[in-house]
Amino acid sequence: MPTDPKALAYFAAGIGAGLTIMGGAAGIGRLAAAALEGIARQPNAAGDIRGAMIVAAGLIEGVTFFSLIVAILLAIK
Amino acid sequence: MIGVLAALAVGSPPEAETAAVVHEGPAEHLLDHVVDVRYGDLLVGPFNLGPTKHLVFFALAALVVLVIIRLALRSYKQGVPSGLGAAVEALVVYVRDEIAEKNIGPEGRQFTPLLLSFFFFILVAALLGLMPFSATATGNLSVTLGLAFLSFLAMQWAGITKFGLVHHFAGMVPPGLPAWLLPIMIPVEILGMFSKPFALMIRLFANMLAGHMVITTLLMLIPLMASINTFFGLTMIPISLGLGLFIMMLELLVAFIQAYIFTLLTSIFIGMAAHPAH
Repeated sequence: MPTDPKALAYFAAGIGAGLTIMGGAAGIGRLAAAALEGIARQPNAAGDIRGAMIVAAGLIEGVTFFSLIVAILLAIK
Repeated sequence: MIGVLAALAVGSPPEAETAAVVHEGPAEHLLDHVVDVRYGDLLVGPFNLGPTKHLVFFALAALVVLVIIRLALRSYKQGVPSGLGAAVEALVVYVRDEIAEKNIGPEGRQFTPLLLSFFFFILVAALLGLMPFSATATGNLSVTLGLAFLSFLAMQWAGITKFGLVHHFAGMVPPGLPAWLLPIMIPVEILGMFSKPFALMIRLFANMLAGHMVITTLLMLIPLMASINTFFGLTMIPISLGLGLFIMMLELLVAFIQAYIFTLLTSIFIGMAAHPAH
């Protein structure tokens, strides 16, 4: 085990950031796949689908950033 | 990194001290570039009203928005704008029609100035933060707290002016609800009422902060690599600059998207308050 007590916090911050991006990227990947399939099926709905995709991506990224802030707090303090 | 240099300057400290000093280095150096810097002290009672960097750029962003809108207004000749006026009008019409009227309905016109203020201010503050030696005003939790608080006030205003003080809060729980569900529904609804602006605040703050931290980290890799070996540092320069440039371009896109999402979500919440689904 590391001797510096803060070492565990840094370790946790690194693992936390990795897990965070796994969840976020998986969610946004599924979103992008569904949006692209929708555009492929109906090209004239592309504008609406693109708008909804951007909004949903922003919301998912917002949640991702929640846990990223926790990881950053672990690394700083 | 500064810690490494300090350790080297002191001499040859014992192992544990070097390790601890190196630990402090990266985090603080990273933070130095994204946290506030106070320019002067102006003590009024218990508060220190001295200007900080974020405050200066907050005021500058507001000033730039006002100047742009004034210039755009001036370019109107016989009801037809040109140049800057046309660009601003495109954005204004988009916010009014697609965001305000679609989500709030007929009362959308009343809330359009507020939504436009949000949109332009967040956009200009984010774009100003991308310039050298500047700071992003919305990367400060206090600023986004203020914006989210205004959004919260707008939600309550929409509901209270339409339905009255009591009915607005009474309309949060669905009618025809069995009485034993009320102790669960009321805290849930109140929590939902506060969590929406809270999410807005954290989302904007984290997006602005994370972008700048990533850029700073990438650029900080250059001296970090150079302290190990000068050749590593030299080869790191094009890689870091390339990646940093790419992230800067992504930040431009993120600025637009975050302004749009904040405005859109505010209008959706106002619409939910003005037209409760139940």
